[in-house]
Amino acid sequence: MVRIVGGVTLVGLAAGLVMAFGVAPREVTQGNVQRIMYVHVPSVWVAYLAFAVVLVASIVYLARRVDGADRLAHASAEVGVLFTGLTIATGSIWGKPTWGTWWTWDARLTSVSILFVMYLGYLLLRGMIEDPDQGARYAAVLGIVAAFNIPLVHFSVYWWRTLHQPPSLMKPGPGTMPGVIVAALMVNFVAFSLLYVYFVAKRVNLLRREAEAAA
Amino acid sequence: MTFARRAFIVVWKDLLVERRSKETFNALFFFALLLLFVFQFAVGPDRERLAGTLPGLLWLGFILTGLLGLGRTFVVERENDCWEALRLAPGDKSAIYVGKLAGNLLLMFVVEAILVVLFGIFFNLDLAGVLPALVVVIGLGTVAFAAVGTLFAAMTSQVRARELLFPVLLLPVQAPVLLATVKATEAVLLGEPLGSVAHWLKLLGAADVIFVVVGVLTFDFVLEG
Amino acid sequence: MPDNWGFVLAAYGLAAVVLIAYWRRLVRRERATGAEHRPTVRRA
Repeated sequence: MVRIVGGVTLVGLAAGLVMAFGVAPREVTQGNVQRIMYVHVPSVWVAYLAFAVVLVASIVYLARRVDGADRLAHASAEVGVLFTGLTIATGSIWGKPTWGTWWTWDARLTSVSILFVMYLGYLLLRGMIEDPDQGARYAAVLGIVAAFNIPLVHFSVYWWRTLHQPPSLMKPGPGTMPGVIVAALMVNFVAFSLLYVYFVAKRVNLLRREAEAAA
Repeated sequence: MTFARRAFIVVWKDLLVERRSKETFNALFFFALLLLFVFQFAVGPDRERLAGTLPGLLWLGFILTGLLGLGRTFVVERENDCWEALRLAPGDKSAIYVGKLAGNLLLMFVVEAILVVLFGIFFNLDLAGVLPALVVVIGLGTVAFAAVGTLFAAMTSQVRARELLFPVLLLPVQAPVLLATVKATEAVLLGEPLGSVAHWLKLLGAADVIFVVVGVLTFDFVLEG
Repeated sequence: MPDNWGFVLAAYGLAAVVLIAYWRRLVRRERATGAEHRPTVRRA
């Protein structure tokens, strides 16, 4: 089953690449550097999806103590951190030729960085608690706190960057986008979402096997 | 035994322990003083530069001191094998959370008051007019800090690298609160009315509610085992 | 505006490296747990 998902994912990713490089046009203002968006934006989408899943799985675990929920939360957090890191890296690489600097404290990069550190802490917590039941409970609590923090992060960072600031700050991502670009973005959204499902499925299986082996 | 009474007993116990040993408060006071020196050396004598960084430095002082103080919230219980007693206490465990939170708030407010006075002295600030507004901002920000801090302190109290994990978990979660408080403090210190930073205050209020509610709802799960 | 293909390659290359590395890590650990006990039930 997982293998089928993997296969479909591969097809999706290939289609995404074709769309990003073959079908999508050279962007008018930014040039071909804009194509990085086809990796950067789906990555951040997957990250948020992953952390939403962590929230739900954490709540389910605390309410029902289903081990599967705990494994799902763990796996989703790990994949989420992976894609968050990727978002930051690709965003930075895009930023260098566009803004002239590798790093800038713009709203998106700052928010995503805070997210990155929060959930990295989640993984750290899991790594540091030996008792698996306690680790699961504590991680679930942290997963809930972190998720509720996300809207706070968004608003605070956005206000921090835009209020009393000249609106000349460029944000990544085009404004009104021609249909082809939207289409390419959508294909990559789907492909990356499939990749998320594939990774999480494999990771959950791995967690289950490792738990069974340890039992 | 009512919820409130149970919470109050926790606060009272901690106050008594603290009054007898004074270890936490003395150390924190001394630490706050040292921070002032460090800030002065780090930022230099240039008045203008200092004025610009003052709100940030103030909150840095609160947070660094708070990390030390909050991190120790459950150490007394751990060291004296009282964790089990907490666990086995009958009734709603979140009363313990509220009690610990109240105790931490008390501690934070005292430390913050001292830091504000010291800042005023060392950096020659005129705080008289802005004090009420400042109190509001500090109050709102501290509740959010203490609410999460108390919860995380319980979670990290038995991890081997507690002193490392506690700040690592707490600081990212506090980032938006810190942004809000520094911006609001900046405005307040410049004499602007609270209304001008209403959005920041609302964010802090929301954070306070969210974090306290989550703390109350999840503390039971932290205290198990 | 210059095309900066180098940066585009860097971004996609980095993504590929990271994602493939993670995938390989998952596969490798999967094999390690699979080797510890002979599976009596075939998993799809």
